[in-house]
Amino acid sequence: MKHILVIDDAATVRLYHRGILENAGYSVDEAINGIEALEKALVKPYDLFIVDVNMPKLDGYGFLKEFRRQDDALQSPAIMVTTEASGSDKQLGYMSGANLYITKPIKPNELVNYARLLLGETL
Amino acid sequence: MNSLLEQFLSEARDFLQGIGEKLMQLESDPTSNELMVELFRFVHTLKGNSGLFDFPEMTRVLHASEDLMDAVRNGRVNYSQKLADQLLDAMDFVGMLMDEIEATEKISNKHAAPAAELTKALRNLLTASEAGSESSEIDDILNEITQTQVAENSIDWESLPTLNLPEDIAEQLHAHSLRGDSVFWVEYTPEADSFFKGEDPFYLIRQVPDTEWRNVVLNSTVENLAEMDVFNSVASYQVLTHAPAEELEDLFRYIPDEHRRIEIPALAFVKPSGNTDEHAVDEDFIANVFALFDKDETEEVTRTINTMLELSAPDLWSSSALRWVLRLIEREPENKAAQRALLESLRTLQSPDWSELKPVEVIATIAPPVRNAVVSTSNGSNGVVDEKMQYFNEVINAQREILNLSGFNEGRLKSVGASLIGCYKSIGRSQDVDSLELAIKNSLVENSQDLLLKWLDHSLENAPELVVAEKIAAPVNNLAMQNDVKFGRRAEDAAGRKADEPNAVTASKTLKVDQEKIDRLMNLIGEMVVAKNALPYLAARAETVFGVRDLSREIKAQYAVINRVAEEMQDTIMQVRMLPVSFIFQRFPRMVRDISRKLGKEVDLVLEGESTEADKNIIEALSDPLIHIVRNSLDHGLEQPDVRIAAGKNGTGKLLIRASQESDRVLIEIIDDGKGINPEVIKHKAYEKGLIDEATMERISDQDAVNLVFAAGFSTADVISDLSGRGVGMDVVRSAVEKVNGTVGIESEVGKGTRLYLSLPLSMAVTNVMIIQSNKQIFGVPMDMVVETVRVPRVHIQSIKQKQTTVLRGRIVPLLPLNDLLASNMPQLPNENDEFATLIVRVHGEHVGILVDDFRETVDIILKPMTGILGGLGGYSGAALLGDGSVLMVLNPRELM
Repeated sequence: MKHILVIDDAATVRLYHRGILENAGYSVDEAINGIEALEKALVKPYDLFIVDVNMPKLDGYGFLKEFRRQDDALQSPAIMVTTEASGSDKQLGYMSGANLYITKPIKPNELVNYARLLLGETL
Repeated sequence: MNSLLEQFLSEARDFLQGIGEKLMQLESDPTSNELMVELFRFVHTLKGNSGLFDFPEMTRVLHASEDLMDAVRNGRVNYSQKLADQLLDAMDFVGMLMDEIEATEKISNKHAAPAAELTKALRNLLTASEAGSESSEIDDILNEITQTQVAENSIDWESLPTLNLPEDIAEQLHAHSLRGDSVFWVEYTPEADSFFKGEDPFYLIRQVPDTEWRNVVLNSTVENLAEMDVFNSVASYQVLTHAPAEELEDLFRYIPDEHRRIEIPALAFVKPSGNTDEHAVDEDFIANVFALFDKDETEEVTRTINTMLELSAPDLWSSSALRWVLRLIEREPENKAAQRALLESLRTLQSPDWSELKPVEVIATIAPPVRNAVVSTSNGSNGVVDEKMQYFNEVINAQREILNLSGFNEGRLKSVGASLIGCYKSIGRSQDVDSLELAIKNSLVENSQDLLLKWLDHSLENAPELVVAEKIAAPVNNLAMQNDVKFGRRAEDAAGRKADEPNAVTASKTLKVDQEKIDRLMNLIGEMVVAKNALPYLAARAETVFGVRDLSREIKAQYAVINRVAEEMQDTIMQVRMLPVSFIFQRFPRMVRDISRKLGKEVDLVLEGESTEADKNIIEALSDPLIHIVRNSLDHGLEQPDVRIAAGKNGTGKLLIRASQESDRVLIEIIDDGKGINPEVIKHKAYEKGLIDEATMERISDQDAVNLVFAAGFSTADVISDLSGRGVGMDVVRSAVEKVNGTVGIESEVGKGTRLYLSLPLSMAVTNVMIIQSNKQIFGVPMDMVVETVRVPRVHIQSIKQKQTTVLRGRIVPLLPLNDLLASNMPQLPNENDEFATLIVRVHGEHVGILVDDFRETVDIILKPMTGILGGLGGYSGAALLGDGSVLMVLNPRELM
């Protein structure tokens, strides 16, 4: 089973993403900020990250930057999901190490389709 | 309620609370950047969450609040009192909406107008500081709504957009329109800064269902490319759709001010197009057709036109017009005027001006077309494949964009590689994966992302089928799927699944539990405590009745163990129910601020001991009385600033609310440095209201006079203000506090201030009672009311005005036989020394002796209030089960007297 880490400070969003992804047959873990995400990602290899931008302590950019620096980690794709949809943020997202930049709220089938694509499964 | 919604509501309340608190803190520290950033984050997240649901009113207000906070955070707008007020209003509104959602799971549309008002007010704050006053968007929305409603019935040809459609599309739409599907022209013009508001014009426009045609127009010409602001939206999007009006309404409900919708009449599509360079149609032919037309020989007309069409080039304007004539004959046979106008146009090569034509009743004569055929002709492939390829393209393009970024980053490259491998596998091109992996490896070795980029470009060039242009079949998002996702079940067994995974790290250390479950647990442990108390009786019976001492001893040993565990359990469950008083304290800053502002007073609120804990029920019972007391202090206690200064005090009054724990009770004090309570005023007031007689008024002590404020029906305010004089006085506070076995007291010094204190038990779960015996029955009396127990010799009992009294340590104490109080008509029994067992209890601060037959031990019981008919019985606070299974009635001396 593929493991996905959902990183968002809003419990509602985490629950939303978890519901969608678990329904699609994935195993989902949650982290409430970048720090917690790093802690989890460095212990357990994840196949995909769903990353929020604006979070306390360490935001999404910070998490990805730090995570992408790790030689020893499985560098799985990351989808950045955010409400701040200006081009500069997208650039920053890509610079930091996101592989996809999507504006919230993401529709359930969209999220599943992106996940399937990035995980190499048929749509 | 679906658990996602539940989660949203519970989290949203936390956010609202947080926003309120931050605003309060900001008030005392208006320049703190940290606070503003945090405040923004709260509002931002709350808005994001609300966007998951269909609550446009809420989202709109939050969106405006977010924009405002963003401006404040960036220093574009200055923080002000007015701004804080406005934001608090907005949050109150959101809170109100949440109450409604909680109750009904939806928001009734009556909130749309207030929401618009609030949004307007918030936006005004933004624009007022930013760039002077601008015409408000809400007015525009309202105007537009009324306008569209007016233009419902008559077709205003002037207002119609000029349509230059390909003939096949126009023909389709014409057919739709005649079939009774309204065809709408929708123009969506995103605001210039829509990118920053999280709007996605492309996405939105792709969402328009049943689209037959799309167009994008630039609103302003780009003069100088170098100076162009790429984040400024300069385009308008136009679509023609035959989707139902409600669906469109729904789709654009978030941005009613940015779109325009016009219904297009069928004839508007009848617009020949094509090459007009060639000479006009032969006049002979036209005359011939007209002749046949006038004779109503429709079949002949059709045949002649068909012949002409075979002879002329299909791309001519005239050919297009002829085809339209044929369509009109077929579809609108009765509409001769239109057909004639179209034939007439063959002479001028100008489209007929339909506005001069009276519309006729449309008779639908066309069979519904086969929709799939339409799609396949315009598209050439089926929709599922297209949708898949669209996702593929989107992800691939993102990877290309990333590879084009400057600077090499190994982790980033690896992630791009993983994404690409996933994408290629996903669409079934596994044959490419080997070479892709090689390209990734080489890129990593060479420290250059160019190699991978080249591979990608090469791969796409050689596989043109991978690149699908965006056409009509946009992915129509299946909103229904959202409902299919079973959040409830998933969320529930998530915890269980976690435990199965050895690697899983616990997500959170806090657990939110339904209060009902805790209450049930509490009841169960209560029953267990009582049940276990049966064991000592059993042990005694084993010994005395059955004569088995060993068994009795074993039972006792076992009892000790069970007793310890049960007590620990009870303790733990009680801990769970404990809440810090900050739960109620946190609302005071806002309340004190609002009220003091209303009264024009300046108040410095100090909260102390917020972490003191007490049972949830106690905390909740405390809430209303405390609010009432604080209101009173603000309204009657603290003076206006000028009065205070005249009295030599600081203009700003001080209100201290302090919680502390004293053994097994919580003490809450409300201390103000206001004018205090004048006992003389109280005395006179009480006398006027008939609460005390003249004699009492003469000799009553000042402290006792002040205590009169707790008497029923006492209210000192000369003018009933809407703040404190709501018809409830301090007596209501007292009874509310006494209901949870609390006491309330007051101390006051004229000119210096007032101190009100509430003393409450930490928990109501276990009550310590003393068992007394009277008239061969046993009763319980709560220990916290018992002052002492004495035995009064009969000779020391005096009768004053037919009432029995005695003197105890220099005080006259009235004595009341319990049998009289319970109206059981039996004399109390003295002991062998002719002494009466007397229970001294404190009732409303007075000591009263209750004569009983005998005292027994004290026990801890779980007091259950009486329900049903017995609930109406005065004099009892409840009943409890004793260890031997008998029922103990617990007296409430306050009600007895």
